[in-house]
Amino acid sequence: MTSISTSYEKLKKFLDEFISGNGYTNIMTGYITGELQFLIFIIVLAALFRMFSFPLAIIMLILVTALALYFTPTIIGVEKENSNDLNRVLYWFLIYFAIIIAITLWGG
Amino acid sequence: MTTIPSNLWSIPLIVAIPLLAAIVVNALYDKRAIRYISIISALLTLGISIISPYGYHWFTGHPAFDPTTFTFTFDPGIPGFRLSLEFFFGPMQQIMIVISSLILVFCVIMATSGLTKHQGPYLAMIFLLFASAAIIIMVNDLYHLWIAVEIGSLIVVGVVVGSGTSISHKAALKYAYFSAICGSGLAIALALLLGITGFPNVSDVVRVINIFGVGGMETILYISFGFFILSWMYAGGLAPLHPLKSEVYGASYPHATAVLQAQSKLMLVAIGIIMLRIFGTLPFVKEVMIFLSIITMMLGVVIALLQIDFRWIIAYLIISHSGLVTLGIALGTKEGIIGGIFQAVNDIIYMSVLLFCCEALYYFGGATSTRGSFGIAKKSPWLCAAVLLGAFAASGIPPFNGFQSEIILIQASINAGFPEIAVIILMVSVTTLIALLRAIYRIFLKPPENEVAANAQIPKSITIGTWLFIILTIIIGVYPDIALRFIVPFVEGGFLP
Repeated sequence: MTSISTSYEKLKKFLDEFISGNGYTNIMTGYITGELQFLIFIIVLAALFRMFSFPLAIIMLILVTALALYFTPTIIGVEKENSNDLNRVLYWFLIYFAIIIAITLWGG
Repeated sequence: MTTIPSNLWSIPLIVAIPLLAAIVVNALYDKRAIRYISIISALLTLGISIISPYGYHWFTGHPAFDPTTFTFTFDPGIPGFRLSLEFFFGPMQQIMIVISSLILVFCVIMATSGLTKHQGPYLAMIFLLFASAAIIIMVNDLYHLWIAVEIGSLIVVGVVVGSGTSISHKAALKYAYFSAICGSGLAIALALLLGITGFPNVSDVVRVINIFGVGGMETILYISFGFFILSWMYAGGLAPLHPLKSEVYGASYPHATAVLQAQSKLMLVAIGIIMLRIFGTLPFVKEVMIFLSIITMMLGVVIALLQIDFRWIIAYLIISHSGLVTLGIALGTKEGIIGGIFQAVNDIIYMSVLLFCCEALYYFGGATSTRGSFGIAKKSPWLCAAVLLGAFAASGIPPFNGFQSEIILIQASINAGFPEIAVIILMVSVTTLIALLRAIYRIFLKPPENEVAANAQIPKSITIGTWLFIILTIIIGVYPDIALRFIVPFVEGGFLP
């Protein structure tokens, strides 16, 4: 587990390495804003699981918050998984399809 | 709504004129006449979609039979099956097609003034793209739905290839690869529906499911839904296919992207409504659609923040805002569906403003990268004003049109019992503004560090198109009923009479 301040340090270090020299560029602002937005998005999304059941939403909220803090900076992972390589898109495509079929068949 | 128990003259023309124009301009290849033929065809399509009455056109089979009058009828009060493969042109279809054909007009003018060679095949693809979009928004049977989605997907590939760069070729190839998977998926979904119900007409399918049920074949219906949603993801670029769709948007010419994104929105609305009509009563269907929409909204806008090119920022924002459209439909309430369709109309308009501004940047030597600063505001203050207004509209700032549809979506989310979704919509709006202003500041407002063409001559068509669409954003923003009066009767009337 890592604290917020060290998360910031980790993100800044990555970006400093990524952009050699001055890290305070508009790219840096994009990454930091993206990181914060993504964290809030997934926390709100986890809370939305209350539409299925409240205990599930609480578990998801705790799980997502813990994972987000542990894996921060998450934006790097998001960017990597967002690749337009066919293999990666196909992988996520199958995962989504499997989840949709599982939820609808078991849930319905 | 008045039902017209006869084939409507205008529906074939809305589809046939672009098809004929595509054949003719392709045959002319590089001749000067292409410009005039294309513009006249696009204007004709626009004119017909404006003056056309509302009604049906059926191709085979027949409408419902009224035993009291011994005539065919589309009257929903007559408990008969239609059996027809049909198109329906109603108020919602009208506003969507009018806006799309207006974009087609400017796209054709920009393409013919910007491109110097091979205009014919490229414009043919643009016309076919429009035709596929027009078909899909009017379609009310499973066969035409599949054909429109399949052809529309292949034409997208053609338009992207027409942009002629190696990036666009790669993007087109990847998109074509998934076309094979998702097109087949949709065919399976439709075959399963046909097998369960025995009817190809969507209204008949809905009637069978609602009246007779599916006789313990819910599992088959769910599998059909699973395959259906794949085509929805693919056609609209929803997650996880958003990297491919955004690549398609970013790798095309901006004027082509304007038509591509309009086609995508039409597909999202059309397929979304058909899914809602057929599967809407099944448990967990709306939940799946809602989660898919939210993930698309989130990923699109977050990835837009990381982009370093104005074209790609817009590409990802188009994806993100597609999630807003599908979210409204996925909520399944009347308010939500109205908000979703209204968002689609508004989204097409304000994204076109941004894309036309992006097209104008090509005349400054392609100054779209945010790595440099070009000081375009000093060279072209009107362009800077236009892009700022477009950004405000996209971010849902009043008095622009984006505000009106987003406020409906927020209210619909809260009324449906999902305040979290309202929070996400607000966050998407704010993040959209951040992503756009970041690029606008670097490209337009920051003192120049990089040289661009000093005496860039932006074609009048771009200027007129941009400002026309800005005026539209303000008119709809101030007086939303101008668009809502087309959408509300369609939704409150139960989609189709």
